[in-house]
Amino acid sequence: MDTFILIGITGIGLGALYFLIASGLSLIYGLMGVLNFAHGSFLTVGAFVGFWVASKMGFETSMPEFILAMIVGGLAAGLFALLIEQLLITRLYERHIDQALVTVGVSLVVGALLGGWFGNDLRMFPTPMWFLTAIDIGGAKIPADRIVYIATAVLLLVGNWALLKFTRIGLIIRAGVENRNMVNALGINVRRAFSTVFFLGGFAAGVGGVLVSVYSNGVSPLIAGTYLIYGFIVVVIGGMGSVPGSFVAAMMIGVIRQFANYYATGLGDFVVVILLAVVLLIRPQGLLGKVRA
Amino acid sequence: MLRWKYSRPLLALLLALLALAPLLGANPLSQPGLQQTMAVAFLWGGLALTYDLLFGFTGLLSFGHALYFATGVYVTCILINHEVVVWWLAGLISIAVSALLALLVGAASLRTSGITFAMVTLAFGEAGHVIIQRNFFNLTGGENGIALNADRIPSFFISVANTKFIYWAALAALIFTYAVIWWVTESSAGRVFAALRDNELRVQVLGLNTQRYKLLAFVISAALAALLGVVMLIAAGSAAPRFADAGVTISLLLMVVLGGAVTRWGAVIGGIFYSIATTRMQDLTQQESFKTIPKWIGGPIAEPALVLGLLFIFVVMFAPGGLSGAYYRLRLRAITKKSQ
Repeated sequence: MDTFILIGITGIGLGALYFLIASGLSLIYGLMGVLNFAHGSFLTVGAFVGFWVASKMGFETSMPEFILAMIVGGLAAGLFALLIEQLLITRLYERHIDQALVTVGVSLVVGALLGGWFGNDLRMFPTPMWFLTAIDIGGAKIPADRIVYIATAVLLLVGNWALLKFTRIGLIIRAGVENRNMVNALGINVRRAFSTVFFLGGFAAGVGGVLVSVYSNGVSPLIAGTYLIYGFIVVVIGGMGSVPGSFVAAMMIGVIRQFANYYATGLGDFVVVILLAVVLLIRPQGLLGKVRA
Repeated sequence: MLRWKYSRPLLALLLALLALAPLLGANPLSQPGLQQTMAVAFLWGGLALTYDLLFGFTGLLSFGHALYFATGVYVTCILINHEVVVWWLAGLISIAVSALLALLVGAASLRTSGITFAMVTLAFGEAGHVIIQRNFFNLTGGENGIALNADRIPSFFISVANTKFIYWAALAALIFTYAVIWWVTESSAGRVFAALRDNELRVQVLGLNTQRYKLLAFVISAALAALLGVVMLIAAGSAAPRFADAGVTISLLLMVVLGGAVTRWGAVIGGIFYSIATTRMQDLTQQESFKTIPKWIGGPIAEPALVLGLLFIFVVMFAPGGLSGAYYRLRLRAITKKSQ
């Protein structure tokens, strides 16, 4: 039973990391139709800036210091995302394929810059000591960092929900995902919503970057690789443009992957792809996605 | 007509020169080193062309094309090393396997379109990459890949002195790929592919089965990619997981966009240029004079992805159509000026 709980919670923790990257991808795609390959670079930029802040504190950080590093990393990634949006994406308005291509270029350039400056070796991320302690839940010893991932993801989900539900810009974003042309026709400037979504997506990815570098024991320009692909899978399964859908799908995939890896060694990724194929065959619009007109 | 009237005779002359160069006494192409570089470049040119059939001609943005190339490499290598069949039959079987795989994956992923299709193919492609890395049944050799058993392929493909045979094989594979794709894109099915790219709804209204045509393009392109994979296996001498990486497909996309889609020769030039550029840039950064450049500039420049990525962003933003697109624009301007 305790192994079962351990694998389950580790899976949810992994799912939380997937959600942090998928939430931004999903909103950006839902609102603007942009397939954002640069999202992995947002994650890496956040990880490196967070690492820079944390390493100023020494080899070990206290919890407030770690949270500071996470927020600064998130803000840096958000601003970087905003810059990319303003500089490149807006100029290719409505040219979806070209927008996707440009983000591929951005991810190459960012990878080359970071790789050239810092090398591709892992650098230890200074974390609070208690991340290494184990918490007892139902007899299972859960590594404390998993709880941090889950808490962060839930906080971001709630924050995201509150923003979308209670603010004017959130209303515009929701309306834009539903029917962008109508919002435009009503004389509302959707461009501001675009920038907001890019900033928020970048922020979430940057925070995710810091957590991913804790999970993978260090920072390197290569950490984003598999997370971006899992992010895409989560977005497709959860439904494009649906943040709650991404949350459900991310948790599901995290848990399924961990269990499959435990009971059928190494088959986790394979099972996830099968799941993707099944969802596509039964519900091409994703779990919580709407059919597009 | 945008085609230059001498282009076909000149192409024939160029091909003849390329084919005969290894025999014509002392010239750069009589060096095994350059022959190997060019062989690999030809194969990338061919691969870019198979990708152009999907992306340029049919409008399918696939991010999983590496899967079919890697199938060609790995299935051939496994069949040869385990002494199942003779080498050329192993190659043919791998092409059939790749086409069958494309049929299955295509049938599932073509239920989506546009950007979703891109994500789904990416997921399938990565699944292949992961399976290769996991080394199931000890077949794929995991991270290290598998070395091709040299005793099981004809001796004229072995040893440095025989590099010219690999060079010819690669050139032949490129010409064959080009011929098939020419034939396909100029056929009536090719017209439907182009129509699907431009206006899918219209094709549907005309009563054609759009899924079937898309699947056809997907399978043809996969089979040709596997063929090039077979030759790549012989040229590289081993099957490595890097052939299945999503980075391969992204490189193909770069090649097609830089060279220019839908012109056939654009993709080939793009692939050859890209392949040579990445190998040459690595040589360049090994030189002593390069070490004098400060590390914060030199470090990133040593990564070919920086220059290629910047070039790529520039082409997408300011020069859509790439190299061949720019060429045709110039031709068009020259012709309209003459006729005025």
